[in-house]
Amino acid sequence: MISALKKELESAFKNIQIVIPEDNRLTITAPKDTVLTILSFLKDKGYDHLALISCTDWIEEKEFELVYIINSYGEKISIILKSRISRENPQFITTIPVFENAEPYEREIHELYGINFEGHPRLTPLFLEREYEIPPFRKDFDTRKYVEEFFDEIPFVEENK
Amino acid sequence: MDRKDIKKWFKEPGKMGHKYSLWAVYFCTGCGIIEVPPVITSRWDAERFGVIPVATPRQANLFLITGYVSVKTLKAIIRTYEQMPEPKYTVGFGSCPINGGMYWDSYNTIKHLDKYIPIDGWIAGCMPRPEAIFIAVTHLWTLIDKGMATAHIKYREKYKYYRENQEKVLKGLDWPPLYPIEDSND
Amino acid sequence: MIIVAKIFEIILPPILAFIIGIFFIGLFRKIMARIHWRYGPPIIQPFLDLIKLFHQKGFSHGPLFDLGLILSLAGSMVLILFIPFGGMCALGNSGGLLVILYIMLFAPLGIALSGGEGANPNISIGISRKLIIALGYEVSFLLVLLTLMTYYKTISIVDIVNAQSNFHWALFSPLFLSGIAYLMILPAILGIRPFDVVGAPQEISSGPTAEYGGRFLALFHIWHAFSLFIGIALFVDLFLGGGSNPVTFFMKMVVVFVLVTFIHAVFPRLRTEQAVRYLWRWPTAISLLGLLLVQIIK
Repeated sequence: MISALKKELESAFKNIQIVIPEDNRLTITAPKDTVLTILSFLKDKGYDHLALISCTDWIEEKEFELVYIINSYGEKISIILKSRISRENPQFITTIPVFENAEPYEREIHELYGINFEGHPRLTPLFLEREYEIPPFRKDFDTRKYVEEFFDEIPFVEENK
Repeated sequence: MDRKDIKKWFKEPGKMGHKYSLWAVYFCTGCGIIEVPPVITSRWDAERFGVIPVATPRQANLFLITGYVSVKTLKAIIRTYEQMPEPKYTVGFGSCPINGGMYWDSYNTIKHLDKYIPIDGWIAGCMPRPEAIFIAVTHLWTLIDKGMATAHIKYREKYKYYRENQEKVLKGLDWPPLYPIEDSND
Repeated sequence: MIIVAKIFEIILPPILAFIIGIFFIGLFRKIMARIHWRYGPPIIQPFLDLIKLFHQKGFSHGPLFDLGLILSLAGSMVLILFIPFGGMCALGNSGGLLVILYIMLFAPLGIALSGGEGANPNISIGISRKLIIALGYEVSFLLVLLTLMTYYKTISIVDIVNAQSNFHWALFSPLFLSGIAYLMILPAILGIRPFDVVGAPQEISSGPTAEYGGRFLALFHIWHAFSLFIGIALFVDLFLGGGSNPVTFFMKMVVVFVLVTFIHAVFPRLRTEQAVRYLWRWPTAISLLGLLLVQIIK
């Protein structure tokens, strides 16, 4: 079942690597321009549940890695799709045409990592209340320095006499 | 407990009334709220102290701020605190409102809650046990007796500074000031 | 001398009703606590709550906010004068059962008036639930009162009480079906479980009292004490023979109240449409059967 899927994917797309770590899991690493086509290919095959979109910050290699986790209820196989984008001016295309529930995940990634998704209808802040110069989940954001500069500068009320 | 001391009831009924019927707002701030249902239910009974949870801040006396406070929660806490009728008492619960606790270097939590709303007392712990909550209630009774639980008076007198701090942390407060602020000649 | 006695008869029942009502609220909390295997507050706890509430500075949303509450409180106080309490009944010769039917609806309307001024949607939802449940139990209540009026051929409660002296209680006469129907709607009149969806703290943040703080909540508690007193006193007068002096009356009220507390402790809360469906089915059917029985016997 799963090796048949692997053969189909390898014949349909070039430049991708597939690894099978366990009996019902599949990991695909793909370049970034083929992500939408792979996702719609998988959705036609019955993998129509997008569980999560996540992001990893590889600061030494100067890249972000977007991770898509897709499940199928019928065959009980979960697929992880990874692709890398550059860290300098991060842009990506939205996957809302394929999976509609990708909207809040992409909004969260935009707010916390700074990746811009073209075509997303609503990229407004979700959790945070302020603007930050460096998006807070990146690895070069120093949390202790930020706390000292912002929160500790606010005076206690007793000191204002 | 001097609940049966009738002479004190006749001399200062307001103070004794505020001591022996503290009604707490059931506002579940952070992770500390997991310790409040055991206090209210059968095993550690809080109703014999006169403490019952009420649904709205308009009916309440006591505000327990349990657990960590993120910036978004601070907005809700300030609005709830300003709706309560005076006199009101606030107690910080757990170690996160005291000095940040476990989240002392986080980019989005409030480290010292004392800068934004006035607090009568703190309960240390992560989370405190129900017996610690009862000791805190009896401490609050002693403070009310001596007239030292004056957090709401401090809020009224120093409202200008509290509002400045609140405006620095939150992006914009969309409610008008609770007490009139005169412009001092600075 | 007669004037002094008359003034005494007018002033004393509301004061006694207030004390008994507050005592009932405290007894309620204590019995519920003991059923839950915990200690519970002292029985005078509602007095302490009232003292605290009068010393708080509540906010008022406008003039109608205060006036509505005072209207409902005044309605309840006047209603107490129509119900015989032991041997005393100040206005017993005017109206009787018909007046009770009308003035009993003053209270929710007064609270609705003050709730309209405090612009909170939770208050409107709570009041609409209260009025819908009143629509539910008024049908059966009316049938029970009609049965009583037919059997005793009078609308005056004092005559009904006097006809039941020497243990000829209405509950053990051919009126027993009506008595059972009245017991079935008594929780709805008092506003306790299974019909306390009106002031549900978890769903609509305590319904009509959502914006009350300070002295308004104190007046609401006093109104609640009065309404408990009225609901139970009416049942004791109509079906359990009243009382020849206030002490026996009070004893009978305590027995009925403890029974009602046990019902509150056991049942969950019904939704509004489930409550109305129940109230329009079983108590109405039983009170109709009671009316037919009385007609056949006459």
